[in-house]
Order: sequence, then C-alpha cells, then structure tokens
Amino acid sequence: MGQRVTGMTANQATLPMAGSIFRFARHGQSGATVSELTPFTARVADELCFVKSVHTEHINHDPAITFCQTGHHLAGRPSMGSWLSYGLGSANRNLPAFVVLVSKDRIDQPLYSRLWGNGFLPSVHQGVQFRAGGAPVLYLDTPPGLSTDARRQALDGLAELHRLQAADLGDPEVTARTAQYEMAFRMQTSVPEVADLSREPRRTLDLYGPEAAKPGTFAANCLLARRLAERDVRFVQLYHPGWDHHGGLPTGIRRQCADVDRACYALLTDLKQRGMLDDTLVVWGGEFGRTNYSQGKLTATDYGRDHHPRCFTVWLAGAGVKTGTTFGATDDFGYNVAEHPVSVHDLQATILHLLGIDHERLTFRHQGRYYRLTDVHGEVVRGILA
Amino acid sequence: MTRAALALLALAAASPAAPAQPAPVDFGREVLPILSDACFACHGPDAKARKARLRLDDKDSPFDRGVIVPGRADASELVARLTDPDPERVMPPPSVKRKLTPQQIDTLTRWVDQGAKWGTHWAFERPRADAVPKTTTPAATPIDAFVLARLAREGLRASPPADKERLLRRVTFDLTGLPPTPAEIDAFLADTDPKAYEKVVDRLLASPRHGERMAAEWLDVARFADTHGYQMDRYRAVWPYRDWVIAAFNRNLRFDEFVTWQLAGDLLPNPTKEQRLATAFNRLHMQNEEGGVVEEEFRVAYVVDRVNTFGTAFLGMTFECSRCHDHKYDPISMRDFYSLFAFFQNIDESGQTSYFTAATPVPALLLSTDEQDAKLDQLRRAVTAKELLAVKEREAARAAFAAWKRPDKLDVSGLVAAYSFDEMTGNKLPNAADATKPGSAVEGPKLVAGKVGQAAVLTGENGFTFPGVGHFTRDDTFTLSLWVKPTDHAPRAVVVHHSMAPIDAGSRGYEVLLENGRVAVGLHHMWPGNALKVRAKSAVPAGAWSHVTVTYDGSSRAAGVRVYVDGRPVELDVVRDKLTKDITYGGSEPNLALGYRFRDNGFKGGAVDEFRVYDRALTAAEVASGHGLPVPDLFEYFTAVHHEPTRRSADDLRAARKALTAFVNPIPEIMVMDELPEPKPAFVLKRGAYDAHGDRVAADTPKVMPPFPAGAARNRLGLARWLTDPGHPLLARVTVNRAWQLMFGRGLVETADNFGTQGARPTHPELLDWLAREFVSSGWDHKGLLRTIALSATYRQSSRATPELLARDPHNELLARGPAQRLTAEMLRDQALAAGGLLVERLGGPSVRPYQPAGLWEELAMGRPRYDQGRGADLYRRSLYTFWKRTVPPPAMATLDAVDRSNCSVKRQATTTPLQALVLLNDVQFVEAARFVGERMLREGGRTPAEQTAWAFRLLTGRRPTDAERTVLARMFAEQKAAFERDPAAARRLLAVGEKPCDTTLSPTDLAAAAAVANVLMSHDEAVTRR
Repeated sequence: MGQRVTGMTANQATLPMAGSIFRFARHGQSGATVSELTPFTARVADELCFVKSVHTEHINHDPAITFCQTGHHLAGRPSMGSWLSYGLGSANRNLPAFVVLVSKDRIDQPLYSRLWGNGFLPSVHQGVQFRAGGAPVLYLDTPPGLSTDARRQALDGLAELHRLQAADLGDPEVTARTAQYEMAFRMQTSVPEVADLSREPRRTLDLYGPEAAKPGTFAANCLLARRLAERDVRFVQLYHPGWDHHGGLPTGIRRQCADVDRACYALLTDLKQRGMLDDTLVVWGGEFGRTNYSQGKLTATDYGRDHHPRCFTVWLAGAGVKTGTTFGATDDFGYNVAEHPVSVHDLQATILHLLGIDHERLTFRHQGRYYRLTDVHGEVVRGILA
Repeated sequence: MTRAALALLALAAASPAAPAQPAPVDFGREVLPILSDACFACHGPDAKARKARLRLDDKDSPFDRGVIVPGRADASELVARLTDPDPERVMPPPSVKRKLTPQQIDTLTRWVDQGAKWGTHWAFERPRADAVPKTTTPAATPIDAFVLARLAREGLRASPPADKERLLRRVTFDLTGLPPTPAEIDAFLADTDPKAYEKVVDRLLASPRHGERMAAEWLDVARFADTHGYQMDRYRAVWPYRDWVIAAFNRNLRFDEFVTWQLAGDLLPNPTKEQRLATAFNRLHMQNEEGGVVEEEFRVAYVVDRVNTFGTAFLGMTFECSRCHDHKYDPISMRDFYSLFAFFQNIDESGQTSYFTAATPVPALLLSTDEQDAKLDQLRRAVTAKELLAVKEREAARAAFAAWKRPDKLDVSGLVAAYSFDEMTGNKLPNAADATKPGSAVEGPKLVAGKVGQAAVLTGENGFTFPGVGHFTRDDTFTLSLWVKPTDHAPRAVVVHHSMAPIDAGSRGYEVLLENGRVAVGLHHMWPGNALKVRAKSAVPAGAWSHVTVTYDGSSRAAGVRVYVDGRPVELDVVRDKLTKDITYGGSEPNLALGYRFRDNGFKGGAVDEFRVYDRALTAAEVASGHGLPVPDLFEYFTAVHHEPTRRSADDLRAARKALTAFVNPIPEIMVMDELPEPKPAFVLKRGAYDAHGDRVAADTPKVMPPFPAGAARNRLGLARWLTDPGHPLLARVTVNRAWQLMFGRGLVETADNFGTQGARPTHPELLDWLAREFVSSGWDHKGLLRTIALSATYRQSSRATPELLARDPHNELLARGPAQRLTAEMLRDQALAAGGLLVERLGGPSVRPYQPAGLWEELAMGRPRYDQGRGADLYRRSLYTFWKRTVPPPAMATLDAVDRSNCSVKRQATTTPLQALVLLNDVQFVEAARFVGERMLREGGRTPAEQTAWAFRLLTGRRPTDAERTVLARMFAEQKAAFERDPAAARRLLAVGEKPCDTTLSPTDLAAAAAVANVLMSHDEAVTRR
C-alpha cells in the first residue's frame, strides 16, 4: 500500500526535492542546529530539548490539530488543557485553570473552539479564551452605566435572597451558585489586571521586543502567558497560525519566524530569571511537518511544501526536561524517522508525566469506558527526561 | 492451606448475616455488571484481547472448564481467584486497577452457590410485563405504584405535592421550554377544578411551543448545526429538517414513524417530499471540504457517524467501540458493526464537499415549494412535449429527405475553435476558426512532429487553456474532437475539461478523460450524485494516434453523449445518469483547458493534435466523413442540418430546456438519503482503517439482538422495521428513558446513551419496562407518554429535600421528591426574552443571528467570515433558531452547557460556573431583556417599588416572594435608584444597551434601577432552576 499523501500533491507529476535555502548553524554548548531565521532562539539553544522524530497519523489540518489537542482526530474528546484542569484542579481562586491565547491577524488555517473544549468532561474544565482588545474574557465587562459599587450592592442583595432560598430549600446547589457569582465578580477585577501588560517593568517589555506592545501579537501573548503562569493558571495554550506554506514558503517562513523567535527567547529568559522555569513546562510545535519535496514549482528562490506527517520537530523546555539535547533523528532526506520515533500520544504522555500525572491513570468514565488523553496508546519518552 | 482458610472465613463471616432464604441474585442486574466492569477487558467479547482463552461473557467457557461449578462457590476457581492473596493469581490482577468491593465478591459468591443461573443482559431481553405493584399507600397512577413500592422497600416516603406555582413553572418549562405568564399562574391558582392541572398539561401539549421544546432536545441527538464543521466550516441549509422535527412533534407523529422516516423515508413506497426530507437526519454529521483530504477516509467517517448515531439515538448502544475491535464489554463484534455500516453507505456521496462551489453535498433533495413544483411540472412537460415534437418533425422529414439532393461532400458547420498545434507565437496558440480567441500555453508544453504537422506533448502538469471558448451549459449541444496519443494506459488522465477542479469543485463542468485508455466523458453539477458520465467499453491503443470525437445533444442524459474513435461510434457504459442542475459556475466560468487540472492527474506523457470545438452535436455521418469512411445513412444529418422544421423544433427544445434549468438552478437543496439501486460492497475494516478491507459483510443487525425480520428488505427500511418492531428490547426503553430524563433531569437509566453492560442499571427496571410497553401499545404516542409522566404524583411532588434525604439520595434516584433542574441554555435566554415581552414567536425558518460579542468568527475561522448580527425580530427569536456554527458555536449557549453538536448527544450537563454568571449578568441579550422587565414592572407591577419588585420577582421565578424576600427586593431597588440618582448619565448609558429603543416616558433613574434589579434577579436560583 502506498503512503498517505494529500490530494494536493498526490497527483503532482513530479516531486522535486527542495533543500532549505536558509542557513543552519550549530549553537550553544549543546551544538544544536538552528536556522538563521531564529537567531534569538539560537541564544537559548542550551535551554531546549529538540525532539526531531515526532510523527503523526494525520495529513490534513483539521484531523491533525484535533489529534494533537485531544488525542483523537475526530471532534468530541476533551482537550489537553481540560484534562489537566480536571486532573490538577485549579490553583487559583480568581482565574480559570486553562487559558487560551490566539495570535491576531495570522489566520490561514482556522482554529476551532473545540480544540480547547471540555468534550465529555464537566464544562468547568473548558479552556477560556483571553482576547486582545476589549474585554479579555467574553461577557467580562459589567454593562455600561452599572458601576462596580452598584453591581456589588445588587449582588449582595442577590446573595441575601439566596440565603433565604437556601434556608428554605436546603439545596446546596443554591449556595454553590452564590460562590460562582462571587468568583465571577472577582474575575472582573483579576482578569483585566493580569491582561494589563503595561504594568510590566520597562526591561521586561524590552526583553520581549517592540511587538509585545501590540495586543494580540505572539510576543504579547507570551508575556501574558508568563503573567498567567505566575498567578498559578495551570495550562496556557498559545496558538500562532500562518504556517501553511503550500507555495511561497520563503516569504511565509521569514514572517512567521520573525513573529515567534524573539518572543520564545524572551519567554524562556523571563521564566528563568524569575525562577519559574524549574516548574513550568514550555512546549513548542505544530500538528505535522512539511514535505522535503516542493509542492508546485521549485525555483532557486521559491518553493512550497505540502503536509508531511512522517517526521517533524517539537521542542520542550523547563520543568523536568533534559535541556541542551536533541532527541531522535530523521533520515538524511528529512522524510522518515531514523531513530527514536515519538508519536503524538507519546508526546502527550510525556507532557502529562512532566506535570506529575500518569497518563494511564488520568481517566474519565464516559459511555461505559474509561477515556484518557492518550486513548490506548502513548509511552513516556524517558530519553528526554532530566 | 492459607487460601482455603481464608475462603472459609469469608463464608463464615457471610453466613450469619444472610437470611435463611437469601434473596436470589439476578444475573442480568447484579452479576453481569460486575463481570463486565471487572473481567471483560481480558475475558470478554473481544477475541483478540482475551487472556487464558477464558471468556466470561458466555457461560460455556467457564462452565466447561470448571472455572464455575454451579452451586459450589467453594469449588469454583472464579470465586477462589477473587480473594487469592497471591498477587500473581488474584483477579482482577492488581495491574488493571479494578479492585472488587466485598459486596461484589459476596454477590458473585452467592450467585455461584445459588446455581450460577446464567442469563442475558437485561437490555437485550424484551421488556417484562410485571404487574403494577400493590402499595400500602394508594398510588395515583401506575408510575406512582412502582415508585412507592421501591420507596417502601427503602423505608422512605414520597414527598408532598409541590405548591401550585412551582408545579406550573416546572411543567410549563418541561413541556414548552418557556415560563408560565403571570396570567397563566393566576388562572391556575384560581382554578379549583380537580382536573385543573390535567387541563394545563393538555394545553401545554397542544401548544406549538411544545414542538419547539422537543426539537431543541432532538437537535442534540441529530447533531444538528448550520455549518459543515470542518476547516472553512461553511453554511449548510438544513433548517428545513429542523422545521420538520418541530412539526412532527407538534402533530404527534407516531414515534415509530418519526424514527422510520428519518432512517429510511426515501425507501417508503412513493415517499413524500417530507418523508425524504426527514432522512437528512443521517447526513447532519460534520462534512469535510479541506483540500487534499483522502476522500474515502472521510466517506467512511460519515458512514461510521451514521452507525454511531443510530446506536446512541435509538438503541442506547456504544457501537463506536466496535469500529476498531470487538466491543470490550457488550456482545457487539466488529462484524456486527460493519454489518450495520452496510445499511448506511448506499448513497452516491463524496467524502469531501465542494470548496469551489456552493453545491449541496449529494445526494440532495430539491426543496421546492408546492407552487414551484407546479411550475416545475409544467416546465418538464414542456420539455417532453418539445422532445416529442422534434421526433415527429424528424419522422415527417422522410419525404423531404427522399427528395433531397445528396451533396458530394458534407458541409460540417458549427466550428467555433480549431487548434492545430503547428506553431505558437510566444505562448499563444492560433485558433483557425476565430483568430480573436487564441489558446494559451501553460507551463511550456513542447511542440513536436505530430499526426498532422506539429503536435503538443504534455507532462501532466502543463497544457493549454482556451479563454472565451466552450462555455457550454447542460442544455447546449457541442462537439469536441482531437487526436490523442497516450504513452500508457494510466488509471486516469485528464485530456480536456471545463471545470475548476475535480473533487474540490465536485467536478462541476464537463470533461473528457482517459481511464485505463478508455475515453470517459462527464457532465457534472456535483460529482457523484448529480452527474452524468459514460465510458467507452474498449481502450484506445497506447503509443499510437487515435482520433476522438465526443458529441453531446443537450439532453442532460447519458444517452445524449456519443463517442467516436477514428470516426466510428464506440460502445459506452453508463457510469452515472442523474444530472438535474447546471454544470456552470454562475458567471465566473473557468477556461476550457487541455492536458492538466488542479489537483488531478493530467495527460502525463500524452500527445495531442488538431483540437476542435463545435457548438453543435455532429452527426455520425459528419464524423465518419471526416475520416474518409463510408458515410452511413444521411437521414440524421439531413434533418439536423438541412430540414428547417426539425431545426426549428430543436431550437424550441433547447429553449424549453433552458427555461427549466433557469427555474430549477436557484431552488435550494438539502442533503438526504437516496438509496442506490445496488448496495456498495461492505467490508470489515481492520483496526477501523478506511483502507484496510477485511472480510466482506452483508447488511445485518447485531447477533445479540432480535433477528432481522424475515422477508424484510436488507436496507434501511428493513432496519427501521426491525427497530420499531413492538417486541424490540431497546427502542421503546431508550425513548421512554429520554422522556423521563427530560422531565426528571435523570433517566431511569442514568446513562441515557449507554444501555450496555457498562451502563447504569435502571433504578426502577419494572417501571422502565411498564412505560416502554405502554408507549408501544399506545401507538408510540409521544405526547401521551409525556402526559402520563406529567400527571404522575411522582412528577408532581415537591422537590424540597430534607438534609437526611439529601444525604441518603443526593441524585434523587429513588424519586422520594420531585425534580429540580437547571434551565437549559435555550430556556434561560428564552425566559429572559419572554419576561421582557421581547420574544418573537414565529415557527421555523432559516436560522437567525442574535447578539454575539464582536469579532469571534473573524478571530478563529478561516476566510475571516463576518458574523452579520441580525436586526429587529431576529434578535428575539427562540434560541433553537440561533445560527449554530460548529467551529465557533454561540458562546453564551456553549457556556450554558449546550453540547457542541459534533456528535450525537442525548444528555447535557447542568453545571454552575463563574462564566455562566458573567453571561447572565453581562450579555447584551440579558441586559436588554432586564431593561424590558424593568419597564414592565414599572407599568404593570403596581404603584410602589415594593409591589413592583415583587411583581418582577414573580415574573422571573414564577412565585410570589416571601415577606423577607420582599424586604430585600425593596431595598435592592432603593439602593440602585440612589446610585442612579447620584449619576443620572449612568442611567442613560445602561438604558442604551441593546437595539430596541427605550421607553422615554418613564423616569430614567427608576427604569435603570428597575433594570438593574431585574438584571440580577435573572440569576436568582429560582429563575435559573425549575424546582
């Protein structure tokens, strides 16, 4: 049986090999190979663990990204962040346990709210998207004309009514409701506070670079992610779309790398300076790789690449990761994994392990069976543990 | 020694507690669930996962091997292993982390001692006809007798009836999804007729709101949404299905028919349009349009979804487990799964929807109105009449033909383009028939010595386009001819086409291909369900020149296509013959092209020469004469070219066809089931993989369930007959259980989606069976079923719980109290609209777009679609009409526990979260509605703030406040009023929220204060819950 190739190049008459036109060099004591397009990342090469042998089963965006985020390629399973919220609980009284940040203005392939959905887990474990500009969380703002004091008074009145109701009915649900209204009220203060990057000192803003001043950029989101992690938000998922370079790859990849390079460097540096990198895991990757052959015409300065599920690179840093290493390898053509294959489920198992969870034991009973993030697969990649 | 001693000890400990005649252990209800949960993973139905060749889902295996010795627990290895102190031997092994409780071990031990009576899982047996139990306290209805009997066993008593206000609110929401109005509350309180409540129930069931309420539930089951769900997540017009569901519930369509129509309406004798529309149920799964997907992978995913939905919705079974392996717990094998799969795949569909066109995924039903149908009928009859007339004119031409002077040479007219490939100027290819329309070379095809002068050789990625040439509709006649020289017999080579893409455009347009060397011609609206395709029975030679002529007569029929090779007609196979809409792109037409196509296999290595296009269908004589062949009968040529009446009738016919096309093209369609004449072959798919065919299977139902009815067709209709058979163990149980869940918040089987061995056992099995049998014998009367439940004393109990009862039965499994349920997402919003007097009640129609925070779609969705918020009435429709975009569902509803509509879902959660509080407090929809509640309370609520706030409280909660509550309410109003008096501008800002203008005759500070109070009252427990 032939290999799975997408219908975009399956019928292409020739598939010319296309080496990168960008220079790669070795960096840091570890000698990690990093592209000239990510000079900042190169500076923290020794903080990173590159896994070069990740592979997936899916060749199209929607199934592949759903697989990455939920462990299954069809919609309906809980996302990784909601599993963690379910497994670890919340460590914060005023913020959700699972926050999602999406870069503005970089859509090529779409995102779906099911990627941070709770699936069959209780909906309290849903990821909460923080948005740039306006209210950071949907419906966070008190309606115009209602002052915080007036709202407070009204909620106090409601709480009093609820006390009467609870005394009459004896249903603990009434009291639970009051508690949730109080947390909502606190979130109205705590969320804008955490989202306000202007409170950061100048040198921190400088570290992330000028892009961080623009709300919704990847750089601003990295800084916001650090602020959330600092306040014990369990899981922050950042999305930065725009990598689907079927054609015109050189232009596209320059732009994308410029978006993320300095921000990744700054995030790691910032976390390290604050002593947070020891217990914060940072994972960077995509839903699949790209082909070593050109989609469409190959010229000296231009080419495109189709989806490639058989090998791609993900890096990890921070808590419990063996940094300054490169794990796994592909063949000389970057087409197949040559050593230490790591499946998406393996990666998920490893992430859970690093967060203190046995991926086989974090289960939820649904439709009569015990479900887990890694389905019935996944092995912790011992080789990348510190 | 030790082991034996322990076993004895266990027995010794158990025996004094046990009564002289221990209660018989029920295998289905007590033993099987333990075996399933603890043992089946390794000793169950899945043959591949089975350890020690022991299976405990089947009695022969343990009995034959002495693992179970009936009547002798002490001699049964099964029992010994449960308490074996050796971690290597104890079962279940510690590694599987399923430790049995002492009670479970005791159950198994007693069961073996009692003879190990085997049985089947309760849900696979027919519902039992247990007598309604006699109770010491008189039971109002049979339901209550079952419930009271159980309560008596538990030493509990039923609760007193709910007070009238709460009961009215409960039943009004449950049956219509809306709150009672103050007038309805007053009327009910004043009605002292013993039948007052019964009258209310009948009124509610007769209300058209009832259908909307039931539809809101059913849409979760049917995974209904307004978009396809993948990637671009584009619009699908399926709202007519939703409207059919509403109407079906409102007219109380027998539930067995409700199910049959949805499963197999197209297979009923002379199906009505409505019956065919109902089958959209099977097509509402997500559909992928992402470029480059493997079509078969997603076609299989769709069929799998149909099977899973069928299993969950109608059987309460988790068939999805059996897609990749035999079910681990239930006796459902992979073969069973793919035997069901065989029922659901026999439609002419594609696994990828069209990206470049807005075509409805095929097969589709034309959603014409009755008036349109009349007009269509008229237009079709006109076409038929013109066709007959054309035949008549032709026959009448015999005399003229006899008198006609045969020409020496046939004059072939209609040539619109002729490309010789002899030379190119730049990339321009001269057109001998029309110099203003040269062809354009794409990606540098080479010219080499050809059949006549030079020819072009192609790579598969290059070729020519012919701007301005060949934009034919399905009603036009045309001819294409050219020389071809393929190097080999490739499975597929695109030679000529007028289309944007194959699968990404549903192949919209026309095409000439070589398939294994055989000429294939297609005219497609949306491949494969709305398409016409023929293929030559024999191949043209590889490595040699052949001349191919294709003619088409504008009839939209396969018989209207002829193919000639080297001037001789060739025999054709009809591949598809179902073209009912046009083959064009509504204005932005692609260029006619040769040699290559977007994401397709071009004419790799092939050569072409002398490409010609005619705007008429050449006759056989003309084609033959071009090859110097003996010219056959010239009659056809004569009539087509020289006989004026025939030519006129042909023009008239074309005009009639164009009129039909123009009328039918814009009429919308909906995806439905339309059974193929021959079922597609079905296979077990190994590991569930779409391309890993295992054994071939035939359509069949699972072995563990009743046999397929003798004589029934092995199609979806036969399947529906099987399912709706009065003796079927599951459909009625599953349905009455969902009705119970609707009314009580929890089914008698708590796992409404799983009646398998891993599902919850029924809390009241005899009641479940009684309801199921009643439901069937009532003629599947769904309204009657709800009425029966609503009139029971059990349903009418107060939901108030003492701390003792709460501790004893937190989830109200024993039904010693009435139900208290949080309102659904739809109810919460609809209540706010109704209370504010904003609700616009209009049944059905396209989905609407109420308020939604700006920018949500743009931020996430591909192509940055804008959410064009509705205006006026669209903001105030009931929530089941809210546009459901799968990738970005309506955020307030998602927060309030609506399901995401990716898969069939029969149960929603009812959670309490801070984000829900933010919605109720701050969403424009609720804030605006609060303003209108404020307006009403000032106008209708009495004279004093105390009266007015009490009135608003009652409006939103359905009950009068207590004195203590009145005091708080009055104070809340005073506080808010004081705040707005200090800042009148703030009052105006609050009153400006929402699109509907404010009543300016009221005092802004009063109105703002009233709105602020109403705003938080919408979050009051009694407003959010029906108690």
